[in-house]
Amino acid sequence: MNCTRRNFLIGGSTTLFLSGYFPKISFASMQKKNLIIISLRGGMDGLTAVPVIGDKRLKKLRKKLILEDVLNLNSDFGLHPKLEIFYKLWQKNQAAFVHATNIPYTGRSHFDGQNLMETGAHIPYKEKTGWLGRGLLASNIIGKGLAISLPMPLLLRGVPQNNNFFPSPDFVETKLIDQIYNEFKGEHNELIKSTLDTIRQRPLSMQIATDSDDRKKLALEAAKQLKDQSGPRVAVFDLDGFDTHAAQGGVDGAHADELEEVNKIVTILYENLGQAFDNTLILTLTEFGRTIKQNGGYGTEHGYGSAILMAGGLLKKSQVYTDWPGLKKKELFEGRDLNSTIDSRAVYNSAMSICFNQDPEFLRKEVFWGDELPDLSQELFKI
Amino acid sequence: MSLNFYRRVAFGLSPNEKPDKDPLNWAINQLDTIPDLLWPGTIPTEKDLRKKYGEWVYGDREVLRKKFKNDKHAYRKAKDELRIKTGERYFELNEHAIRHFQTKYSKQPVFERFWLFWGNHFAISEKDFLAEFSTGPYQREIIRPNMVKTFEEMVQSVTTSWCMIHHLDNSESFGPNSKKGMEWGETINENHARELLELHTVSPNAGYTQEDVIQLAYIMTGWAHKWDRKNLETGDIWFDQEMHQKGDKIVLGVKYKNDAKRELAKVIHDLATHPICIKFVSTKLCRHFITDEPTDEMINPVIEAWNKSDGNLIEIHKAVITQAYKYNENTHKFHPPEIWLMQLSRMFDLNIPLSFEKMNYTFKSKPNNRQRQLSWILREIGHSPYRVKQPNGWSDLEVDWVSPELLLRRFWFASVELPMLVKSGNRSHDFILACLKNNFEDHANMASLIENFRFGTLDYDLGQKYGVICNLPGVLKI
Repeated sequence: MNCTRRNFLIGGSTTLFLSGYFPKISFASMQKKNLIIISLRGGMDGLTAVPVIGDKRLKKLRKKLILEDVLNLNSDFGLHPKLEIFYKLWQKNQAAFVHATNIPYTGRSHFDGQNLMETGAHIPYKEKTGWLGRGLLASNIIGKGLAISLPMPLLLRGVPQNNNFFPSPDFVETKLIDQIYNEFKGEHNELIKSTLDTIRQRPLSMQIATDSDDRKKLALEAAKQLKDQSGPRVAVFDLDGFDTHAAQGGVDGAHADELEEVNKIVTILYENLGQAFDNTLILTLTEFGRTIKQNGGYGTEHGYGSAILMAGGLLKKSQVYTDWPGLKKKELFEGRDLNSTIDSRAVYNSAMSICFNQDPEFLRKEVFWGDELPDLSQELFKI
Repeated sequence: MSLNFYRRVAFGLSPNEKPDKDPLNWAINQLDTIPDLLWPGTIPTEKDLRKKYGEWVYGDREVLRKKFKNDKHAYRKAKDELRIKTGERYFELNEHAIRHFQTKYSKQPVFERFWLFWGNHFAISEKDFLAEFSTGPYQREIIRPNMVKTFEEMVQSVTTSWCMIHHLDNSESFGPNSKKGMEWGETINENHARELLELHTVSPNAGYTQEDVIQLAYIMTGWAHKWDRKNLETGDIWFDQEMHQKGDKIVLGVKYKNDAKRELAKVIHDLATHPICIKFVSTKLCRHFITDEPTDEMINPVIEAWNKSDGNLIEIHKAVITQAYKYNENTHKFHPPEIWLMQLSRMFDLNIPLSFEKMNYTFKSKPNNRQRQLSWILREIGHSPYRVKQPNGWSDLEVDWVSPELLLRRFWFASVELPMLVKSGNRSHDFILACLKNNFEDHANMASLIENFRFGTLDYDLGQKYGVICNLPGVLKI
């Protein structure tokens, strides 16, 4: 067993607290950088996605959930075989993982947890806007958010004029809009009118009807828009079904099916972003991880620490970035969950600072109320 | 008075209704009594549906998960069969039909609008299987009967209802110094207490602290479902003294002496009659019926009626309607998708919901597409009523309902789906013109926009006409 606490921690993040960091705005702002967040609702199990193969305890605690054919990342961590694209990108320094991380929430309620993963706050339902929306607003990036969902996700709220893409089951003739557009007069109709403008200015490809349950088509369209220099800079995907209390399984279980969905989206983004992939960061987001131990239904219960899956050309290198807490009973959170040693909001704050060309200190104050979130840009991303 | 008043406070006028000579009186007279539910089909009780909920979770959690722990395919198949057997995929559809039927045919449509309002004020968000089994009957059995009582009585009923307690986890809240709390090392879950303050009564404007939340949570400990092996969490609500935090509590500066189950009624009394609560809820009522940002001038008469009647909801509702009437001509209010759909359904006598005979369910196969139609439409236009994501309910602000896709969905519904819901006798152009005339002052202008299609009666032509009509600014909003 060579997995002991801290031996993966490369470069003490804490020291960076003090370093005055300012991006080279003049150069950086020339290239459009994309930030893509994939929400994994239900509690993604970091130990299924990125199992710690260097710790025999995992195998013992999860006899029925153990993976065969794990893809080896290094001597300590493996990768779920369904996450093929991440493995492929890992070889090219375009995939990385943050492990034993979570939002600072230990309540184990999906309900509160999902609210907090989106608001970035400490008290559920207190904040009505999302960290990504606030980050965009603070960076003065308006009208560049694209949600792949029908309502505007909480995560993106707080900045006006976001677009969303989740087409209706049938084709909608936009010429209907032309027929009534001029009826929207007066100040009280401004909001609808400007939204109709957004619809009318949409590229043809965003006007087609499609099956919105077909994630492939949605991802394809998102890639197309993100590739466009004048298109959106931020996209938000939503996946659910990670709440696998039963038949979670190993290589083929219910959790694997969900990871396969993530893999599919990232694959489509990678294949269709082309050059723009070099200027893109893809990060996952979840409300909590799952218990170490399997339950009576060969599933797992709500836990705490999880992992962030990352892909994109803006990553510094392939690595499992972690301050590994260990799996001994006393090292677990409340004796049952993988602990979280990295506040995941630090990763998101750093990612925003890279993609929005902003000082992370500034964002930390504007978006996360000045919470102590170390700047991880130098460790994780290309500056 | 503009005809739009009938949409501001209700659902517009159906083809066989005529505008009243005295619209204000027409509206106010609808608020004294609780209209019967008109749905001729099955209306199951909350308790019966909770039993089904119990059968579903027990069957899945205790039986199937264990039986099929190595085989996700067999597990899914067995789970689907259990869904059918327990009506897990059906009851919500039936509830949507009951609800829509009511707003469509009620002789007291203004009352029904308040019903929707309170169901949303005391929202049950999408959690566990509440939408499938419980939110509908909760709104029928807990919200509705209290609408002719006081606000305080409404809060009491809601707070001790199984649905709300399950929704906000109060059954998992233990007084740390209670018998069970000490034995099991458990403590409070603040969820319900926080929402009772923040969303249901005084709102953050009251300036309560985290300590107030904790103290209120202490008072609420013990109000829980009665757990047993077979029913799991679906047992009735009772007060479990062994979970209750002992000692005095202080909330918003008021001391509540150690008094077991009686503490809750006392604190609810104080919260529900708190001036900040009265202002908060009055504002929400005015926001719903008058405009997104109501002024003090609009709100104050509602507060006065509240104070004068000691929180009698009949009087409060009448005051809200009076204000809505007063400001009808110079305020605007955007309607969320479900209310818009209900209005179109009533004004144009659309063929929804499905007849009660066809809604009958045998528990032998999946509900069919026709049975799913109304619920599917609601989902596609972005407003499946029992599936709000957060306990603060659906927003009453235009800005939350205007996204490109949400607007496009309305165009989609009106131009593609709606034509298939037009009854065979109503396909003529004259029928549309008559409905417009019945509901809109500027019906002539509206008619001119669809003049080109006047001879068409195919689905496509109807789609062109309704696609335009239903999305005009004067239809999307008042």
